[in-house]
Amino acid sequence: MRPQILLFTLLLPFLMLAQEGENKKDSILLNKLDEVVVTGQINKKSVDKSVFEVKVIKKETIERLAGNTLADVLNQSLNISIQPNPSTGKSSVQLFGLDGQYFKILVDNIPLINDEGLGNNTDLTQINLDDIEQIEIVEGSMGVQYGSNAVSGIINIITKKGSDHKWEITPYIQEETIGGEYGFFDKGRHIQSLKIGHQLAKNWYVNTGVTHNDFTGYSNGQLGQQHSLNDGKRGFEWLPKQQYSGKVLLRYATQNFQAFYRLEYFDETIERYDSIVRENYNSATQTTNPTATDEIFTSTRLYHHANFAGQAFGQINYDISASYQQQKRNIEQYNYRINLREKFDVNKQEYESRKGIYSRGTFTNFFTTDKFDFQLGYELSNIKGYSSALAGSFDGDNIERRLEAYDVFATAEIPIGKKLHIRPGTRLMLSSHFNAQAAHSLSARYVLKNGYLLRAVVGTSPRNPNYDELFTYFVDINHDLRGNSDVKPERGFSTFLHLKKSFFSSDLSWELSSKISAWYLKVDDRIELTIVNPSPLAFQYNNIDLFKTWGTSFTHNFSYNNLQLNLGLSLSGQSKVLKSQETYNDDFLYAFDVNSSVAYSMPKINTIISLSYKFNGPNYQFQLNTDGDESSFIRTKQEGYGWADASLKKTFMNKKLHFTLGVRNLFNVTRIKNQTIGGEIHSSPNNGLLIGYGRSSFIKLLYNLNI
Amino acid sequence: MKNSIAYLLLFALLTIGVSCSKDDGGTVTPEILVVAFENPSLSFDALDDQKQINLVFSSTPIESGIVTIAYTTDNTTYGDAEDFTTTPSGASGEVVVAITAASNTASFTFNKLKNALEGTTKSVTFSISSISIPDAVSNGNTQLQVSFTETAAIAGSIAPEVGGPNEGNQVYVDLSSLSQTAADRASWELGFYSGDEFRVTLNGSIFMAAAKIDATDIDAVTAMDVETLQPQVAVGTFDPDNMAFVDGVDGGLINTAIAEISATDAENNVYLVNLGSEVGTDTPSEGSVDISDDPRGWKKIRILRSGSDYVLQYADLDDTSHTEVTIPKVAGYHFNYFSFATNNIVPVQPESDKWDMNFTVFTNEISGFGSYGYSDFIVTNSLSNVAAYQVETASTAYADFVAANVDEASFTTSQRAIGSGWRNGGGPGTLPSIKDEVFYILKDADSNIYKIRFTALVDESGVRGNPEFEFVLL
Repeated sequence: MRPQILLFTLLLPFLMLAQEGENKKDSILLNKLDEVVVTGQINKKSVDKSVFEVKVIKKETIERLAGNTLADVLNQSLNISIQPNPSTGKSSVQLFGLDGQYFKILVDNIPLINDEGLGNNTDLTQINLDDIEQIEIVEGSMGVQYGSNAVSGIINIITKKGSDHKWEITPYIQEETIGGEYGFFDKGRHIQSLKIGHQLAKNWYVNTGVTHNDFTGYSNGQLGQQHSLNDGKRGFEWLPKQQYSGKVLLRYATQNFQAFYRLEYFDETIERYDSIVRENYNSATQTTNPTATDEIFTSTRLYHHANFAGQAFGQINYDISASYQQQKRNIEQYNYRINLREKFDVNKQEYESRKGIYSRGTFTNFFTTDKFDFQLGYELSNIKGYSSALAGSFDGDNIERRLEAYDVFATAEIPIGKKLHIRPGTRLMLSSHFNAQAAHSLSARYVLKNGYLLRAVVGTSPRNPNYDELFTYFVDINHDLRGNSDVKPERGFSTFLHLKKSFFSSDLSWELSSKISAWYLKVDDRIELTIVNPSPLAFQYNNIDLFKTWGTSFTHNFSYNNLQLNLGLSLSGQSKVLKSQETYNDDFLYAFDVNSSVAYSMPKINTIISLSYKFNGPNYQFQLNTDGDESSFIRTKQEGYGWADASLKKTFMNKKLHFTLGVRNLFNVTRIKNQTIGGEIHSSPNNGLLIGYGRSSFIKLLYNLNI
Repeated sequence: MKNSIAYLLLFALLTIGVSCSKDDGGTVTPEILVVAFENPSLSFDALDDQKQINLVFSSTPIESGIVTIAYTTDNTTYGDAEDFTTTPSGASGEVVVAITAASNTASFTFNKLKNALEGTTKSVTFSISSISIPDAVSNGNTQLQVSFTETAAIAGSIAPEVGGPNEGNQVYVDLSSLSQTAADRASWELGFYSGDEFRVTLNGSIFMAAAKIDATDIDAVTAMDVETLQPQVAVGTFDPDNMAFVDGVDGGLINTAIAEISATDAENNVYLVNLGSEVGTDTPSEGSVDISDDPRGWKKIRILRSGSDYVLQYADLDDTSHTEVTIPKVAGYHFNYFSFATNNIVPVQPESDKWDMNFTVFTNEISGFGSYGYSDFIVTNSLSNVAAYQVETASTAYADFVAANVDEASFTTSQRAIGSGWRNGGGPGTLPSIKDEVFYILKDADSNIYKIRFTALVDESGVRGNPEFEFVLL
């Protein structure tokens, strides 16, 4: 479809129904009252009352996708792309062209630790979704609400904390092919899970769950651990990974007070068999004794979260979370004699870790007025980080560092007249390593005529330098590349505008809600390697570059009887001012995304069929092309690709037995090509970005015993 | 309710079934011990009278035993008063060598008692006849021919002792005599050419560089004079112009950093010399190298002629007086090497026709980016016309390559004929590795032509600086 036509189609509802809306009741809230969000709110709010624009991925959607980890469900969202790294087994998220360092993942409003950071740099495949209620996504810099590293946005995972039943026992198994590979034990993805929820007493609720997720690796022609020839065929293309995840929640709630404690334990083993085989040919005996250097990574995460919310002094509402979390990745590095199946030179050590305490509290309702809400909050963390010499170039040293952060913030929600709400906010961030930082925000929600709803959100958030930027030391005869302990946090700034409107038929048989958004986001003082000495050539990390992106998106949700349709388009431009380079081209490069989904439910036969499709348009980058003395910038194009998931879900036995059958990556996407435009084409089937392991199918059988 | 519980049980069973851990699978190949001679041939020159003959194993023996070796003779007789003896004794017609469990070495000694007369050949051929360990076999070099006169080795393998991941040695290898000579690569700075021309080479293996200064009075040059020049006179500056400060990478004498020494003293300028870097001392992560350490400092030098000798003047940059040494040319060698540390001549390279390849750290050029330090480099003896070229296994397999396949026109006498072409360079996330898809043809100074295949860059554990290769005389 040509972009113009697509644009027109997307805008059509706004053009057509603009007049019609006059006659309709302003009934936005009618059937959405249940969709409550907590992210960034002073008090729990319905999505429409929120001053922020919160995208919600509901439990039903996750169930339809048979999503076991966050990586399974996010690839249908606009502006987000998932970047799997088959050689480390991690999947990170890219939002608005910024990587996982600029993005924060929270669970129940507090950042989730991982071995590389608190909330940021998260490996999406390590986040199990078995006990969640919904996922809330907010785009844009959220520094006031969530502190540093919330530059491009945040994901807040809300867990399930109650039940209508005395007992809820839910076991399920899920069997999945990996591309075309499947075997009952040794190939494919095998998931088993058991959840038990119990209403202990009137005010007490407990639930616990355990999940085993066994991804046996994707070979794609690779020949596994025991392959003894140095032909590049040893090992796996996607590393085998085995995960266990266990969770416990205990909740006490009365009318005016609630407290919960949540414990999570996560354990993961990733095996990496090197493709390089040392054949150790013995020319005298004409024998080989093949060896290889392999690695086993084991990660464990422990998460404690206690939360108390209630009222003090008969007036002030408080909501306090305290948490201790740790995640450690260990490495076992060894040499392996392939013929003898024998390990030697075994070396086990800690690879990377983060651990520490965290607390966040908010206080509201200082004044006895309904006129406005005022919130005071604090956030503090004391996180000890460790990065071994194996995890970076630190001149053979292990890096150990404690980062303490003490933040206070204040926001207010002020209604001006009946139609306008504004919400200013500010945060002061003090830390043991960086100068004091501040974050600001200003949001507004305005109800226009005819049920149009306008939101504007401006925010800032810094990004703290990572260990590579601070501590790298790679100096030898040919190189001089150093970290810089004096780099400052990068400064992120974003502004978003959203215009939203819902349309109904008078009998409410259909509903269409449409939204236009536009944004501008920039990151100043970006940290990049710069030449600090031309001869001998020496590089150091410095705050020098500038990143800018702007874009616009149109989304529509349409429901008619049992049919639900979503359609979205996003267009964005990106520009990089690279002062770290001798020359650069900061022209905007444009890209687009389209997503759509259809779900049709057939209540008579207890079946829902759904199809989601996202097209990630081609992506462009500038590349310096040096041809003799002439250097010019050429555009490289990363091809676009479509990602589709389809599923059928049917319930039996009075909704006790759920059966889901589906296909992921319907279009069998594996690698996408990079090519140069206007120059020679440098592309080959094996080079390019690995996006997926091909079309795979799954079945899931879930039993829901509610007593 | 009953139903529900039945379903739960079914689920539990399914779950247990599915989560049964997978079998690690695959059968372990039983390790058969293979025994062979280290090399298939061995020759004595007129001076040697004793050599150790080594046996090698495919893997470390797990039990003890004996190897029985028979021999046949050609113009030779065993005995104390005859041509040769062995230790342990082979008087019975067999030599019995012990294998010790957990030990990788086993050998016997060959004593040459009488030289071959000029124009005659004398030899003994050993062959492994039996091994007492069950399932052990002999394969590969099952025979060894010991020749009483100097003859080019017919085949063999050599593991040059480069010195592990710091690559502290330059190892000169001679194929025909199956020998290697190692020298500490930081033991010298300047090499004075012993041929007709008056040329001086820098030690590129420690990344030295030199620049001509517009002065002929060495005592008048100060550190201040060279301050702006210093940052450029180094290896690895990523400046294409800095190739002028290092020796030409092809090994020809025309492009040395120091100009030809003139008979006219006034034409011999002072040079600023960067002494390069110390040899690395850290143990890098497995598969990596640590070849450089702290800078070794600077000197100013001036070289003159005195008859057929060189006169070297040198001093620290701010010194107002200098040291002077006379360095003669030395017959039979390419260079006479000098060390500032000992203020003396040091032995480095074997005689000019006694080596074919030098395994060394090397100052190479990356076109467009200037000089760049290379580890695991191989320099061929181009000054003695040793020539080589690369063959891809895709065109001819190593095993199939015979004398008739040799393409004379392909030989190149650049000292970089092998260079770094035998290994993959590695990069972010991948370590350097051996290139299995190539081998080399080398013609030595005596026009013996060999095919050479590199079999290792690292040892069994992946530690760098442990190269190994095999060769066959064509």
